[in-house]
Amino acid sequence: MHLNTEELVDIAEGTRAEASMPHLAACEPCRAQLRDLRAMLSAAQEVEVPEPSPLFWDHLSARVGQAVASEAADPARLIGSRSLSTWSWLFGARAFQASVAVAAVVLIAVALGTRTSAPPPLPAPASMSISDASVPAELLSDVATDDASLTLVASLTDQVDLETAREAGLAPRGSADHAVAHLSDSELRELGRLLKEELARSGA
Amino acid sequence: MAGTFPGSWPTADTAPPAAPRPMPAADDRPLDQLDEPGLVGACLAQRAGAFDLIVERHRRAVYQLCYRFVGNHEDASDLSQDVFLRAYRGLRSFRGQSTLATWLYRIGVNVCLNRVSAKTTLGKLTEPIEEKQFVDARAESPSELMLKDERAARVRAAIAQLPRKQRATLILRTYHEMSHQEIADALGSSVGAVKANFFHALGNLKKLLAEG
Repeated sequence: MHLNTEELVDIAEGTRAEASMPHLAACEPCRAQLRDLRAMLSAAQEVEVPEPSPLFWDHLSARVGQAVASEAADPARLIGSRSLSTWSWLFGARAFQASVAVAAVVLIAVALGTRTSAPPPLPAPASMSISDASVPAELLSDVATDDASLTLVASLTDQVDLETAREAGLAPRGSADHAVAHLSDSELRELGRLLKEELARSGA
Repeated sequence: MAGTFPGSWPTADTAPPAAPRPMPAADDRPLDQLDEPGLVGACLAQRAGAFDLIVERHRRAVYQLCYRFVGNHEDASDLSQDVFLRAYRGLRSFRGQSTLATWLYRIGVNVCLNRVSAKTTLGKLTEPIEEKQFVDARAESPSELMLKDERAARVRAAIAQLPRKQRATLILRTYHEMSHQEIADALGSSVGAVKANFFHALGNLKKLLAEG
């Protein structure tokens, strides 16, 4: 039985010993195929890629750098931004979720404060894992515990711990200034770019 | 800013469910001291110069791969740029299960096979000999060099006429020393199919050279 293609390739490449195939010694067609394979392999290996100018490599790097820079200028195509919005990219996914939840607390609390009639001050619900310290007390002071809205707030925030809220720059120390002061250089650049974009859009 | 991104590798949006590889912790070492996962992590963290270093380390191999497919400097240069741009876009999908070089080859093969038409390839296949001024010819006489160039041009032209998968297999196996398994992964086939393609590529090469 003649050698199959896999056996011939293995022998031609030297990964299988000729001696392991006794058929070869007795079969001229198989030996001829093996000779052809080796000859073509050798012919192909001799073909070299002409070395381009030494200046070419830096030129190629520069071209790639420019192409990547123009990609990076488009936030929708930035590395890591495909599944996240610009803002979630800016702050990180967990922190972004925390921001949304805490913002919801603040907004609902403010809304409740404007429509409830002087209820007694109450602590935050036990189900909330954000401590009082993470949300200004004055924002919670007018909130009634049996209000259905509060249940919604609690469900929005029960996965958010203080650490996460701090990451979002929304912890007690977390004024906007505090958050901005803790942005990295690349985040600051992106924030600046977004602000400029917003100003340009609003015609300011 | 490495910690900004989700804490597993591969990441949530691209990850297969099994055996995620932990993302390397933030590494403040100089870029040239980072291993491949560290360098990829630095890129994902948008550390300045990290992707430049990847390009610098792999540009020659990527260019040579593209040149093997198209046979001319101009197209090889354009395709190399495209390979790196696609790599940049898809860096988060690099799972660290193969080397970065193998991953780049895989992108390169796809770019070359998809983007280069047979007509373009054959039309610009061989360059004038005078353009090959940077080939080291110190050990060869002018006549030997000319014969070698002619032989190389004929072989290159024959390789360019091979069916796509045979051509890709021959290039990756002969010039980039990829294992049969790596080629199978890159081309989405089996080791048996790769060996069969390699066998037929060499057989067809013989026929094409005999015709030429």
